[in-house]
Amino acid sequence: MKKTLFLALVLVLAMLVPMTAMAQATPLRFMYYIDASQAGYAEDQAIWQKFKDDNTDIDLQMEILFNQPFHEKLGAYIAAGNIPDVIYMWPSSRSSSAILHQMHLMKDLTPLLGKTFLSNFVAPAVNPKAQASGYLAELPQSITYTTVMYANKKLLADNGFGLPKTYADLKAMVPRLKAKGIQVITLPDGDGWQMQSCLFSTVVGRMLGDGWVDQVKTGKVKFTDPRYVAALSFIDTTFKDGVIPRADVQLGYGDGPTLFASGKAAFIIDGDWRQGFYLTDKSTGQALIDPAMQGTDYAFINFPAIPGEKNPGVVSAIAGVGLGISAAIPKGSDREKAAVRLLKYYYSPEVQQIKLETGAFIPSLKGVTSDKLEPFTQMMPKYYAGINRISYVLDGVLDPGVCNNFINKGLQDIGLGNKTPRQVAADTEKAMADWRATQ
Amino acid sequence: MVRTIHGRSEERLAYWAMVLPAVLLYLLVLGFPIVISIILSVSNYNGGKMFGGQPWRIVGFQQFERLMRDSFFWAALKNNIYIVLVSVFGQLPLGFIFAYLIYRRIVKFGDFWQAVLYMPNIISVIVIGIMWAIIFSPNGLIAEIMNRLYASSISHQITQIFNAAGGFNITDDVVRQLIHASGPVASQTFTDPPTELKQLILTYDPTKLEVLKHDLVNLLGAKWTPTFLTKPDVAMLPVLFVILWCWTGLYLILFLANMQKIDAQIIEAARIDGASEGQVMGRVVLPSLSGVIVNAAILCIAGSLNSFALVFAMTRGGPARVTELLSIYMYDAAFFGTPNYPLANAIALSIVFLSMILIVLTKLVEKRYGGRE
Repeated sequence: MKKTLFLALVLVLAMLVPMTAMAQATPLRFMYYIDASQAGYAEDQAIWQKFKDDNTDIDLQMEILFNQPFHEKLGAYIAAGNIPDVIYMWPSSRSSSAILHQMHLMKDLTPLLGKTFLSNFVAPAVNPKAQASGYLAELPQSITYTTVMYANKKLLADNGFGLPKTYADLKAMVPRLKAKGIQVITLPDGDGWQMQSCLFSTVVGRMLGDGWVDQVKTGKVKFTDPRYVAALSFIDTTFKDGVIPRADVQLGYGDGPTLFASGKAAFIIDGDWRQGFYLTDKSTGQALIDPAMQGTDYAFINFPAIPGEKNPGVVSAIAGVGLGISAAIPKGSDREKAAVRLLKYYYSPEVQQIKLETGAFIPSLKGVTSDKLEPFTQMMPKYYAGINRISYVLDGVLDPGVCNNFINKGLQDIGLGNKTPRQVAADTEKAMADWRATQ
Repeated sequence: MVRTIHGRSEERLAYWAMVLPAVLLYLLVLGFPIVISIILSVSNYNGGKMFGGQPWRIVGFQQFERLMRDSFFWAALKNNIYIVLVSVFGQLPLGFIFAYLIYRRIVKFGDFWQAVLYMPNIISVIVIGIMWAIIFSPNGLIAEIMNRLYASSISHQITQIFNAAGGFNITDDVVRQLIHASGPVASQTFTDPPTELKQLILTYDPTKLEVLKHDLVNLLGAKWTPTFLTKPDVAMLPVLFVILWCWTGLYLILFLANMQKIDAQIIEAARIDGASEGQVMGRVVLPSLSGVIVNAAILCIAGSLNSFALVFAMTRGGPARVTELLSIYMYDAAFFGTPNYPLANAIALSIVFLSMILIVLTKLVEKRYGGRE
């Protein structure tokens, strides 16, 4: 009888101990964004598993979504007043992040993470003015350069060309490359944002400058300004010269890397984030571009000199995505401490090194490096080093309605030959005037 | 008398007890969202917690006024109207005719054709959309076939020009003939075609004429790119084709099932009386199915005005919004960029309003011209 009683007691205790531990664990809801089919997903999941293993006092409840479903779900959470404790978010008015910024639904990370911690990041990443809310609502994990010209050096050399210095050099490549069935540049713009984000923002930065963009927001200058029309006309010229085929306006974003990697295009213009797409997927051992050829046959270069540019060498860049903490968490609570611990873990050199190695991004955390990097990831910091000045990415600073519906669409119309640069400029100014009236 | 009243009261109570749960459920899942949608469309709510969050208020019909002035709204509406027209005057007549052909065994292997035509309905519309997007893409199947045809044509001409010239004998006349063979392509590629083309050709190794001819085909051959599909109105053609292909089979099945309910003796009697197949179809079968046709038309109209998935997967409303539908515009207003919930709800209500008008019109037409089943 005593033996039975003892065993029952042990059983009850064995059940109670984990229950007590569970009860003490601080629940932390975390909404995270990643494509489960991309290379590096397994490594990413291992990062979060390690956090769970090392922090048993935190009950991490992760919700992982990607692309539009992420924004829709977050939008629903926001509308219900039930946002997760930690959120993967954008610094600008990108979809669901717009409301998080506008309504100050996220905490200012500066006091929470502390100046010492933040001093480890490159200055543009911790610049509060780079965020739509005007404070550090999320900590950008990288600085995103939106115009990188990925060049196939070997293909160019095989056809008697070197890397281009001016736009005229690009134009001169058209006949010979076309004869070989190769297009000069691919810039698939079927989704509408690529031309604006990956080329036109740089063109505006070079031909007009950030000061002009600031002025157009206040109405001191207008989109019908001949200098802006000239910037649009340059895009028109790239299509007319055959440097970018008009058919690219009908291609989806995913079509570009395939064309480039298969040697059907000598260059692809894309953001720096895209370098990870060409790396080896550890789960399959396959790479879109063989690592053995990445360093020897390819180069990342700045877009060549544009006729009429007043800011040579400028490239559009913006603070990258990152994690933010919900303002609904009570100050000084266990949940707040758990959220801060999660962020400090994510932005630790160890985790950022893994992200670098998987080609996810080039971290904004200073000094992160690795000896396991494929050539493309090693080449990107060298590309950054060659950039002296950066400019706005237009969709990061202008009203999303004006940008999506008139600038992005207008650039597509120019590419398709449906509208002239002057018409697009006039349409954009009309929409901008309506927007200014509401401010 | 008392017992009768008591009985009626019990009957009413039982009626409500049975109906109320369904009514409440209906109001909860349909009525409540509709009411909220109406309220949002006339409000200035711009996101965040709806109750207890930032204050918002009713501001009137601003979003509806905006829609009236909005060129994107009218363009999207026009595209929706195209879909309604193709659905009502394409899917229904074709579905009816195919059903009749199978029903009357005018075509052989009726079951096979029935299965083939219905097949798109068992495939996910997202898969269908992506599949057709690839087919119509500038690097897709149609482009590949067309480019091979173009290349074959100019390749033949280039070979003839070099044969006549006796091989790698690049004279001004040969260059002129090549430019002529290329049509407008040479002048689109070069600023000064005769000089630049000659210079380019002279960089080739004279012993490798085949390489030169191959490259000239690439350089001077026309490329079939579906840029015509980027022009407003025309851009909807492939979408309309796919819609027709996708759902005609559904109406075929619907009509065929109802045709099989018609008393065969009536048709036989008509045939004995000398009616042709056309007369049987138009004067016997068609009037018998008028109610089904009206219901099918209502399904068509409602489906056309809220169609989303297929077009979203196929074009996402692009390029340059030329294939945008009201539902895609509504989606973008709600979830793309800075959300504009009042505008999105105003668009949603306009879809409902248009559906109601078209359905009422359909009912009126049926009442006026429809036969009795």
